[in-house]
Order: sequence, then C-alpha cells, then structure tokens
Amino acid sequence: MYMYLPIALTSVNYLVVMGLGLSVGLLSGLFGVGGGFLMTPLLMMVGIPPTIAAATDANQIVAASASGTISHWRLGNVDFKMGLYLLIGGFAGGAGGVQVIKLLRATGGADFLIKMTYVVMLGLVGSFMFVESLNAMRKSKKASATAAPAAAPKEKKGGFFAALPMQTYFEKSGVTHSALVPLFLGTFVGVLAAIMGVGGGFLMVPVMIYMLRMPMHVVVGTSLFQILFTCIEVTYLQAYSNHTVDFILAIILLVGSVFGAQIGTVLGRKLHGDQLKILLSIIVLAVTVKIVLELVMEPSILLSYAGGH
Amino acid sequence: MKRAIMHSTRFFVAMALFGLATLFVPAAQALTCSVTPDNIPITFTYHGAQLAVTGQSASTDDLIVTITSEPVDTALKNYEKVGGLVWMKKGTLEFKDAPRVYLLSSTADLSRILDAAELNRNLLGFDALREHIRIEDSKGNPADGKWFDEYLKFKKQENVYDMREGAIVRQHGENGNTYRVDVAWPYQAPPGVYTVNVLAVRNGKVVERASADIEVKSTGMVAALSKMAFDQAGLYGIMAVIVALLAGLGVGAIFKKGGGSH
Repeated sequence: MYMYLPIALTSVNYLVVMGLGLSVGLLSGLFGVGGGFLMTPLLMMVGIPPTIAAATDANQIVAASASGTISHWRLGNVDFKMGLYLLIGGFAGGAGGVQVIKLLRATGGADFLIKMTYVVMLGLVGSFMFVESLNAMRKSKKASATAAPAAAPKEKKGGFFAALPMQTYFEKSGVTHSALVPLFLGTFVGVLAAIMGVGGGFLMVPVMIYMLRMPMHVVVGTSLFQILFTCIEVTYLQAYSNHTVDFILAIILLVGSVFGAQIGTVLGRKLHGDQLKILLSIIVLAVTVKIVLELVMEPSILLSYAGGH
Repeated sequence: MKRAIMHSTRFFVAMALFGLATLFVPAAQALTCSVTPDNIPITFTYHGAQLAVTGQSASTDDLIVTITSEPVDTALKNYEKVGGLVWMKKGTLEFKDAPRVYLLSSTADLSRILDAAELNRNLLGFDALREHIRIEDSKGNPADGKWFDEYLKFKKQENVYDMREGAIVRQHGENGNTYRVDVAWPYQAPPGVYTVNVLAVRNGKVVERASADIEVKSTGMVAALSKMAFDQAGLYGIMAVIVALLAGLGVGAIFKKGGGSH
C-alpha cells in the first residue's frame, strides 16, 4: 500500500495517489485542462513538499495529455495549426512571465495583487461561461424541434481582429483569424501561467472558446496538445535546474491519470459542447471559491515550505 | 619447573579475566545504550521503522532518551495577514541550530526529573529547544517567539518532533536492571546519521551518559534514482519525459485496441 519516494523523501499510499491521478486525468480528458491547480494542493495534502508536487505534476500531465491528445486526435479534435501558434505564444509568454515576476517581486507586495487579479479573472471567466452556456442550453432546447446539431459558435468577424494582417483559415476549428491573435493570446496566458506557477489550462480553454471562437470539442483536443508540449518543457527544466521531479511519484500518478484521460475523452463524446462548458464553468467557479477560502481562512499552521501555488 | 610456570601463567590469566569481569559489573550498574535496528535501509516499501532503545542502568536513576540529528538551519515561509483580509506566504523565517528530528522519551515527567536550568543546559524538552533555536527573518532580525510555537506544530505534524514522558519501561531481572523504550521512527525523517543519547539522572543531576548511532540510508533503486536526479539531472529529466510519453501513448493505443474510445 505504501511506496517511498526518492526525491520527495516521504512515503505515500499509492492507491490514494493513483486515485488522485485518475480523477484529475478524467478532468483533463473531459475539459482539456492539465489540472495542476487541483493536483498540486492535493499532493501537498498527502505530504509532498510544494516544489516537488508542482514539478512532478507537470511530469504526470505529460502522460495524461499525451493519452488525451492521441484519443482526441483520432476523433479529429486537434487543431494542430492553432495549437502551434498558441504554443509559440505560450513559450514566449512563459519566458517573459518569469522575468515579469522577478521585477514585480522586487517591488514587494506584488504577490497579493497577482493572486487577487487571478481570482477575479477566474471568477469572471467562470461566471461568464456558466451564464452563457446556460442560455445556450435553453435556446437549444427551444430549437430542439428542428433536431439540428449544435453548430459551432458563429465567427464574429469585425473590428480590430479582422483588420489585423496575416489572416489564416484554421480548418479543423472552422475559423479565420490573424495568426497574430493566437500568438498574442498564447503569450498572454503564458505570462499569467508563469506568474501564477500553473499550466494555464483554466484560462486557455475559455480563451479558445470565446476569443478564438473554436468549437468545444476541438478546444479540448487542441488544449491538450498544447499542454503536452508545455509540460514536457516544464518537466525537463524542473528536473534539470531544481531536481524537483520525483519520477516514482509521477509514475504512480500517471498510472491513474492516463486511464482517467481516456475515460474523460469517452465521457466527453457523450456530452454536448454546452454541457461540457457548463460543467467546466462549475469547476472553474469551485476552484475560485477554494482559492478565496484559502486566502481568507487562517491556516492551521502559519509556516510552510517554499514553493507551490 | 616448566609446569610451575604454566600453573602460575594460568593463575594470572584467570585473575586478569576476573578483574576484567568485575570492571564490567560495578556495584552501581553502568549505563549502557543500544538501539535495534541501528541501520535503517530505505527501499521502495519503506514506511518508517520500529526502534527499540535498550540498555542497563542503576535502578533508582531516572532516564531520558533523546534521538536527534546534528543541528541545521531551516528556512520556512511564514503566512501573514495582508491588507487585513487575506493570508499569504509573506516572508521567510530562518530557524537556526534546530535538529531535523527530536524524539524524547523519559521515565517520568521532565519537570520532576530535572529543574529548568538543567533541562536547558542539556537541551532536554521543547522548552529548552525554545531557548536554544534562534529565529530570524530574512533581514537577520530576531523574530517573535510565537513562531517557535508554529515551528513546533509544523514539526509535530511531520512526526519528527515528539515527547513521550513516562514511556521508558524498566525491568529488574537476572540481567540486572534494564530499560527499554519503543520508538516509531518517522518515514518523514530524511536519510542521515542520528544520535541516541541516554542520560541517567540522580538527585536532580545528570550523572551518566551513553549513546548510540542510527544510520538511515537509501539503498538499491531508491539510492540510484536520487543520485541520478542530482548527478545526471539532464538525463533524469529526459527519462521522466520519455517514460511519461510512452505511458500516455501506450495506454492510448491499448484503449484503441480494446475499443474503449471507439
């Protein structure tokens, strides 16, 4: 039942850890999020030091997102072109974000501002998605007599986005954007992700749905594709520079998460885009509430190891 | 003549042996200490260990057993209320000269065995640690005493600091006066060499000491992996990524064959 972890220097119940991997992998396959925001605190609860929890989580997300990406790819749900642009933006944003955080930290008091901004953003994104998908579900119920399949969100062409150069058609998503748009949005999420120390799936998925106007199922597959590469980079860098990846912990987690990702993909196929969106919005709101509670309630012990979210 | 010499040699040897024997069994029984096991290997199935600290002592002495590590400086983040509303990790506190592990057992309440000055002098008990450990903020200023309480909570939660007064059991038998205390060795204690100290106390004074060492060491694959993570970090990172990728793609392929997703 127990397994000793050579880098975390602690022993864990592997069935519990596998269970955690399974549940977060399920979310990953369903919604295209890495789930680091949930997994890292859960690992800390079972006694893993924060820096090792965050780095090892990236390692297991490599497995879960590879598992999810391959099954979404078979279903035709991965827009590689869009994913690549977002990825390039994300890499640049991630590198820039690390510098931004150094500058902000030097000024002092920035942590508070960053955390509050993130909470407000997650809260707004979650509420917006919830209301929007609820309305969409009501409308589709009314229109169900026609039995038409839920169409991809209409492309909103106009204004600033349409005026940008390098307009490209993204075939899988069925949308036309300037290549600069996903590059910019990728960078933006990358900066935020680096500042918060998370993968950014919770922000990237809504960005793809509402700003890039991609269909929900393609969003999930493409997000997983992008997360896969981000987490490969993070795993390698963490292992190389900080020695914080616990290989054994990652294996126990990924045994659960790769199966979770497959189950999530299967479940996702059975749900409509709007149902997926409303479920995701509930999770985003729950995460927001959790962060708010953590911030407001006095911790039982006022000391902690460095690192984590 | 030769025979007489042999007889006298035997006599002297016998006398010498007798003398040695009496050295080991003095009138007031000498304090001894041994710990079993004294070598704890860390393998994948390691989940802490059960230690027995045993030895001989004079029957009327009180005993205090401590298991500690060399003192180290530990940096921890501290939460503070920001803007009167939210709790955040604000600064770093350095706990100087603090042992990684501090497990104490005794035959009775510490306060009944020694007075506060003696406890402090011998670093016995959490109150003595409070006097000994220096807490500094990142600028090197001494921090508020309340942080020691938090430090203690933190360490107790990790099971590496513990005090069990009255846990030492005495026995009086054929082997003389013996003592024994069972200690649950926490798996959270990092690999290293730890010292078991036994102090005998008579009339409010420490009269005798004995000690033994415990070595906690990674072995086999656990040792190999942790060595690789530090000595060949690049290779370790690549291995971690490749194994994760293969596992992800492999399970993806199995599901396809099994028709799970189709």
